[in-house]
Amino acid sequence: MKRILIDMDKCDGCLNCSIACMQAHRADHKTSSVYDLDLTDTANESRNTILLDSQEHYIPLFCRHCDEPECVKACMSGAMTKDENSGQVCYDEDKCGACFMCVMNCPYGVLKPDDNERKRVIKCDFCEDDEEGPNCVRACPTGAIYIEEVAK
Amino acid sequence: MRHVIIGAGAAGLTAAKTIRILRPEDAVTVISADEYVNSRCMLHKYISDERDEQTVSFVDEDFFTKYDIQWLKGKRVTHIDSSARRVSYDGGQLDFDTLLIATGSNSVTPPIGSLRESENVFGLRHLTDAQAIKTAAADAQDIVVIGAGLVGLDAVYALVELGKKPVVVEMADSVLALNLDAHAAGAYQALFEQAGCEFYLGFKVTGTREKDGKITHVELDNGESLPCDMLIVAAGVRPAVEFLQESGIAYERAINVDEYLKTNIDGIYAAGDVAGLSGIWPNAMKQGEIAAKNMCGQQEAYTDTFAVKNTVNFFGLVTLSVGEREAQEGDVVYILEDRTCYNKAILRDGKVVGVILQGDISNSGFWQYLIKNKIAVDNIDKPVFKLSFADFFAIDDKGEFYWTAMANEG
Repeated sequence: MKRILIDMDKCDGCLNCSIACMQAHRADHKTSSVYDLDLTDTANESRNTILLDSQEHYIPLFCRHCDEPECVKACMSGAMTKDENSGQVCYDEDKCGACFMCVMNCPYGVLKPDDNERKRVIKCDFCEDDEEGPNCVRACPTGAIYIEEVAK
Repeated sequence: MRHVIIGAGAAGLTAAKTIRILRPEDAVTVISADEYVNSRCMLHKYISDERDEQTVSFVDEDFFTKYDIQWLKGKRVTHIDSSARRVSYDGGQLDFDTLLIATGSNSVTPPIGSLRESENVFGLRHLTDAQAIKTAAADAQDIVVIGAGLVGLDAVYALVELGKKPVVVEMADSVLALNLDAHAAGAYQALFEQAGCEFYLGFKVTGTREKDGKITHVELDNGESLPCDMLIVAAGVRPAVEFLQESGIAYERAINVDEYLKTNIDGIYAAGDVAGLSGIWPNAMKQGEIAAKNMCGQQEAYTDTFAVKNTVNFFGLVTLSVGEREAQEGDVVYILEDRTCYNKAILRDGKVVGVILQGDISNSGFWQYLIKNKIAVDNIDKPVFKLSFADFFAIDDKGEFYWTAMANEG
């Protein structure tokens, strides 16, 4: 499967990845540009984030699409599934019961409820409808995140 | 090999799928009293008309064909002959090489007044319960719900969405007393009250008054009596073990299992509520998976037994609660509260033993791992609510994350 790998030492904390993610998940992302992205509009939340540890190192936190996904094992609606072919952990908003046990069960604290209504989960979809792949990776200026094929 | 699984809930269907993946050639049969696969955590969404018999499922429509699993639905198991290795159900018998009992639990109606006999009293555990409640609620005006735990409030929430204004009676002094502290619980109570519900907290139901086989009033221990034309009892559940008599399978309140989820009889396993290890969905799924692996000859113990964890979401107010909710003497308690959130963390000997986050539970999954693995945080130079997985971050060469502190703890 493909996974976004992380080279922390290269991360400058610029958050271009988060901005690219927000743009990629705008309702009108196909016809709009990042230059008029409203950064305060919580409808366009980023699926990734960069945190600081106590030494103020940048720690890029991106969904791993885990081999043994705890979010899938917590899902009581069938909304969160591991695709056996692509290896990605897929989220089906229509099936989601908004119980957020997946948020509770993610060992790395990657998942969150949406800020606007708390009715869906904000989760990396690997930019599934974009032929060029994850927008965060393309937006990273330092190569701190990159895609590699890893063994399942 | 013939694998038989009793029950089509979280543990049962996870086990069925796991066996199919591990053993493509084996025969897998699921037998269930349920006629529709349904997620018990979503039954209230059936009552409120948000979901129907199909959309209350937690697996895809083609689950049984896709994984080549035989499903005998609407069949209740009546007896297990563990020496002949045969299951009897209403309408037939099934032979098995391995068996998984994943029958879940049933709601308990306390023997007060005529609660157990009256026709307008409902539990909320099965889809059939939800169907009955939905039908009865259509014409009901005065609905009393006994019990303000998660199931009780699920029922109340559904009834509110139908335009009803239920009255809730609860023995504890707050709602969700098993899940939250009084402060976090109070926020939900206020939201339900704004929606027209009325709460009698710290009261017991002592009796009932009936007319024509139906309860017309419930009596409380303060002498008050509440009129009702419908009652929902959400006062707890009991593992569904009634068919195990004379099976040779050892059980007390729940089925006795070892760390491999095996019963006292070789080849017979139990998982989920009926094994009595935990009452929550994620653990039931994990137990189903582990029981299945053992049924296929892969020895694996069930070790992730931590179950004091939950999330609550009513009216868009979300809460995460993990571990202890009230501090003991000598604990250090941190509280961070503003108009949008209430956060509480309890620390003991430099470790977090409990956390409640209400309002914003973004990126909060790491707390469970911090608490259940008893990882020290007093060596981290940060305010407690600024902690995150960043403080324990490690990544392997396949790009998977792991916890450094857990490795250090051994």
